[in-house]
Amino acid sequence: MNIVSLLLTTAAFGLLGLATDAHHRRRFGHCPQAAQRRLLRNGGWLALVGSVVPAILSRGWIFGPILWAGVVMAGAGIAFLALNVIPARGDTRS
Amino acid sequence: MSKGFRQSQAFLHTWSGLLLGWILFLVFVAGTIAFWREGLNRWMRPEIARVEQPMRVLAGAQAYLARKAPDAKSWIIPVATKRSPGAQLFWVPQPKPGEERGRGRSRGRRDTQALIGADGQVAQARETRGGEFFYRFHFDLHYMPVIWARWLVGFATMVMLVAIISGIVTHKKIFKDFFTLRRARGQRSWLDGHNATAVLALPFHLMITYTGLVTLMTLLMPWAVVANYTDQKTVFAALFPTAAAIERTGRPAPLIDLRRIATDAQRRLGAPASFIEVSDPGDAAARVSVSQSANSMLSSRTPQLTYDGVTGRLVWRSPPPGAAAETAGAMVGLHAGRFAGNGGRWLYFLCGIAGTLMIASGLVLWTVKRRERLPDPTRPHVGFRVVERLNVAVVGGFPLGIACFFCANRLLPVTLHARADWEVHMLFIAWALAAAIAFVARPARVWPSLFAATGVLLVALPVYDVVATDRGLFAMLAIGDLMIAGIDATMALFGIAFLLLARRVARHRPAARRVRSARTAPAAMLEPAE
Repeated sequence: MNIVSLLLTTAAFGLLGLATDAHHRRRFGHCPQAAQRRLLRNGGWLALVGSVVPAILSRGWIFGPILWAGVVMAGAGIAFLALNVIPARGDTRS
Repeated sequence: MSKGFRQSQAFLHTWSGLLLGWILFLVFVAGTIAFWREGLNRWMRPEIARVEQPMRVLAGAQAYLARKAPDAKSWIIPVATKRSPGAQLFWVPQPKPGEERGRGRSRGRRDTQALIGADGQVAQARETRGGEFFYRFHFDLHYMPVIWARWLVGFATMVMLVAIISGIVTHKKIFKDFFTLRRARGQRSWLDGHNATAVLALPFHLMITYTGLVTLMTLLMPWAVVANYTDQKTVFAALFPTAAAIERTGRPAPLIDLRRIATDAQRRLGAPASFIEVSDPGDAAARVSVSQSANSMLSSRTPQLTYDGVTGRLVWRSPPPGAAAETAGAMVGLHAGRFAGNGGRWLYFLCGIAGTLMIASGLVLWTVKRRERLPDPTRPHVGFRVVERLNVAVVGGFPLGIACFFCANRLLPVTLHARADWEVHMLFIAWALAAAIAFVARPARVWPSLFAATGVLLVALPVYDVVATDRGLFAMLAIGDLMIAGIDATMALFGIAFLLLARRVARHRPAARRVRSARTAPAAMLEPAE
């Protein structure tokens, strides 16, 4: 269940990151259109909110929120590294 | 938000961060390592087998104490777990008539403590402070009176809170540039790295700083206590209630088997026990108090049960704590993370590393930003030189000291007098040497040398364990002891990271700097910090 929560937060921050101009251009070669951006943002927020559920289910109301806070940071960290470190197609950065 | 306000916050952030950054770096490094305190307690005593049957250790502890200190005033026996090296017990001898009765005076004495190993016998292990060193150094520092150290650390923590909050205002773009990391771009990269480590773990930074202040609150803000209580004892009794003390009768009576009491207490508490304290063992008035383990609950104020030591009857249980005590307990518990399993510890550990990197990059950033504005970069002014070299001495030197501490644990002769102290001295000797070099040689040379030395030592440690001991990484993996294997693997990883960092710093040529400073110096003057 913790893994589910972590996957959801990672996906959430991945989507939110892809909604930014810089990362979208780097991955897809163009800036996101308004509709696309809205879709990515809403998806990201939805996944972030949804990640609370498995955390609470697995650890209850005291440790669940603490676990969730940790998982949010971990997910944000993984997404941050993935977006910045994994080379994109046709990317000149090392 | 007005420009003036943001600039004042930038000033506050820069100078509060710089002046106490070095102490905060030490506190963060030691605190981060201390999340693996129990693991290191075992790693640094490689002679000791893993505890498989905690009750066997408890029985051994009782037998040992009954032999060694039958008429002590009290025995304190930690309940061994799979995570601990055994039961590090101690006893308080009967106060002699006329001798002052100081609280905890016998705590540090070596002749009133022993370590009971997994087989219930006194463990023959090297003398070491283990992971406890990092835990204590984290708020008591070393070589100085504890009370000064706590004031210093407490003050630094308050400043940390100021630096975090003013930092959020100063680096106004951190949330907008949440995903941005521009690499190999000099000052921009430092700033992005500083921001990323800060903002990604921001909930942790705020939590750990605030709850850190709560752990020291009665020291830093004694007024509520002073206004409501006349002496220390009443405060203590109100905060940490215990069963009423009874007089020693002088009639001998056999002490009940502590395993029975521990089993009963664990059933009643519904959780493992952490400490057993026996007062007046062997007397008809003997009492046995059992505290619940902090692994099982968030609050650090764990409930306690007290039994009659002869009949084994439950005579007292701690009342539920008040709301304020419960809140403070929960905050301290959140700070120490003792409730966390291994996954949770990793999260704490990684967040601690993020905090350490945030402080280190902030310190370096101070010099990076100012170097571009120096009238003559080859001959900086005194203040700049002092900061630059202190950065090398602290950020580069302290990790080297820690690596030497671990090496000393493996290499110092087992029979050495005051061996545990010498392990710690080695840390500070190595660090002092590194600091001395940092102040005489050029930083561009010293940075990579210190990183490389740290990296080599950290890689050598797990290799030494494989070659020279029977507790190497693969042997530990084979028997499923993931804690010891994990510590070895983590050291190797950190060693490799330090070596890569050393190579990167050594190859760095500040050639791009002149070009950029010519182009952007005026803009940098206008924009304080982002």
